[in-house]
Amino acid sequence: MKINDPDLIAQLTVWHDAYEKALATNDVATLSQFFWDTPHTVRFGLFEQTYGADAINEFRKASPPAFTERRIVRREICTFGSDFATIMCDAVVVVAGEPRPNRQSQSLVNIPGKGWRIVAAHVSAPLQPNPPWGPYSEYAARNLKLSIHPSHQAGVTTNLARTAAIAAPLMALNLPDAAEPAATFSA
Amino acid sequence: MSHPALSPEATATTIRAAVRSGAVRATAVAEAALARIQATHEKVNAFTTVTAERALQEAAAVDTAIAAGRDPGPLAGVPYSVKNLFDLAGTTTLAGSKVMSASAPATRDATAVARLKASGALCLGAVNMGEFAYDFVTENVFSGPTRNPRDLTRSAGGSSGGSAASVTAGLVPLSLGTDTNGSIRVPSSFCGIWGLKPTYGRLSRAGAFPFVASLDHIGPFARSVEDLALAYDLLQGADPLDPVCTSRAPEPATADLESLPTGLRIGLLDGYFATGGDTRVHAAAEAVAQALGAVRRIELPDAGLARSAAFLITASEGGQLHFERLRKQAADFEPIIRDRLLAGALQPAAWYLQAQRFRALWREKIHAIFRDVDVLIAPATPVPATVLGQEKMMLNGTEQLVRPNLGVFTQPLSFIGLPVVAAPTQNAVGSLPIGVQLIGAPWAEASLLRVARHLEKSGLCAAPAAVIA
Repeated sequence: MKINDPDLIAQLTVWHDAYEKALATNDVATLSQFFWDTPHTVRFGLFEQTYGADAINEFRKASPPAFTERRIVRREICTFGSDFATIMCDAVVVVAGEPRPNRQSQSLVNIPGKGWRIVAAHVSAPLQPNPPWGPYSEYAARNLKLSIHPSHQAGVTTNLARTAAIAAPLMALNLPDAAEPAATFSA
Repeated sequence: MSHPALSPEATATTIRAAVRSGAVRATAVAEAALARIQATHEKVNAFTTVTAERALQEAAAVDTAIAAGRDPGPLAGVPYSVKNLFDLAGTTTLAGSKVMSASAPATRDATAVARLKASGALCLGAVNMGEFAYDFVTENVFSGPTRNPRDLTRSAGGSSGGSAASVTAGLVPLSLGTDTNGSIRVPSSFCGIWGLKPTYGRLSRAGAFPFVASLDHIGPFARSVEDLALAYDLLQGADPLDPVCTSRAPEPATADLESLPTGLRIGLLDGYFATGGDTRVHAAAEAVAQALGAVRRIELPDAGLARSAAFLITASEGGQLHFERLRKQAADFEPIIRDRLLAGALQPAAWYLQAQRFRALWREKIHAIFRDVDVLIAPATPVPATVLGQEKMMLNGTEQLVRPNLGVFTQPLSFIGLPVVAAPTQNAVGSLPIGVQLIGAPWAEASLLRVARHLEKSGLCAAPAAVIA
């Protein structure tokens, strides 16, 4: 089995540039052409799991990407024989003005009569030791079904960061267990 | 010459005496107030809704009662305004926000409004405020900024800015506002008038659009201490519609207003409250302390933490209150307020509960201080009225944001519900006034008002109307 055939790598580089262009413009019709059009196709996103090409397309239509910019930091294309390849991307996306690391893994098969198609994909973000307030608020808002418009996200993040600084000295106090937390009280 | 009760300088006390004696008709008082509001509206922008028909009907009822020999009530014919978060039957309660503008009109008056109405007072309308009361400047994006009648280029303070401006400009002698972190005391200070933030739970908040349930208070504004005490007395009383409202018997302040209580122990707040503001602001507080013979300087330990905890409780409860509106109408909020409320709604519960537990402990600590002192004195704001649109100010040689820092001296006190009278000192910083807080132990409003009256009689504190030409 020939690994990393230069011709195939050149071909997949052009292929993947076109994919990234469609992703940046959320061109759902074009993006769907890159995926294997079967119920077996799987894509895991940052927050969602989608099984089957139809579900992937539905998700894309309903949820345009939150980023305003996406940059590939490093792309590793590897081919195995003439019909299987992996493309691994280390990327940076800019959400609400804040750059965030992002990772994308794709498994490709050269489907007879169709050409290269993504059969499995997974987007992830590295866990950070001190997660910034952006991801926290997005995650919390999503779970509370409180959708924050992308243009409002930066302000929310700034306020949470400011509040965290205000909370810090208070959180450093070791209050006795008997201290009453009831919200209403009599003066 | 028209009767003094019809002039913008007229106090509630003057007006009610003139109306009750039959010297002036309540209808004439209402008409004069309506004319003043109309003539100055473009300059001051205090009112968001003028309830002319209501005021004239209430005035006619007072005149009818007098003609029939019935008692027209202790506030007969006295015009007043309310912050536009108080329910007025038949009017949409805006709470300063476009978000509320399509809401159905209120079906009944707020308890405080109903009590003033029952006293024969005339409701002239609803006045401007900072959106959802999360504000200290009343630079409302939806209804425009309210201008300070003492200097129209400056803010009237907030969030009860329309209340303070309407009283200062002599449009009405009384107004109702609310105070969660300083929203009565900051505008009192900026405009140079009297304001009372009573003990937490003293006055019913029923029918007043909430902000932070743990910290919300209502209270009056006036240009004289007698008016302030009069309004306060009429607003007192239990109310099953507000679960926080006390069931203690009313403790009237008007009866003994003219004499300073004997043996009163008064102290000037030191430390946190003696630094951080313009030096002339601290000088104003010292002048009041001197006039009262206060020699002691007292510190409230951890006042900065108290302010932080108030900040956390505000963000959390405010955000939670508006949760559904943030889901459905996020675009209708003012951007600054929306982002604060959204962040508050998502804030970790650990911060909120730590703040509430700190509050319980801090309250005990401060109550212990009141075993040795009766009245504490501190400035109300770190600076006099800021210029409209001003973003930054210099404090202690460092540049700070205006909006989040105007409540630096008010927040720790409302945090534990202490009663405070904001006492106006005129020409404290150049030609601008500064309010000085007279702070008491819980339920000590009557004593504070007697101290306030003493300062008024001494001439140190005064709130003349700033009549707009």
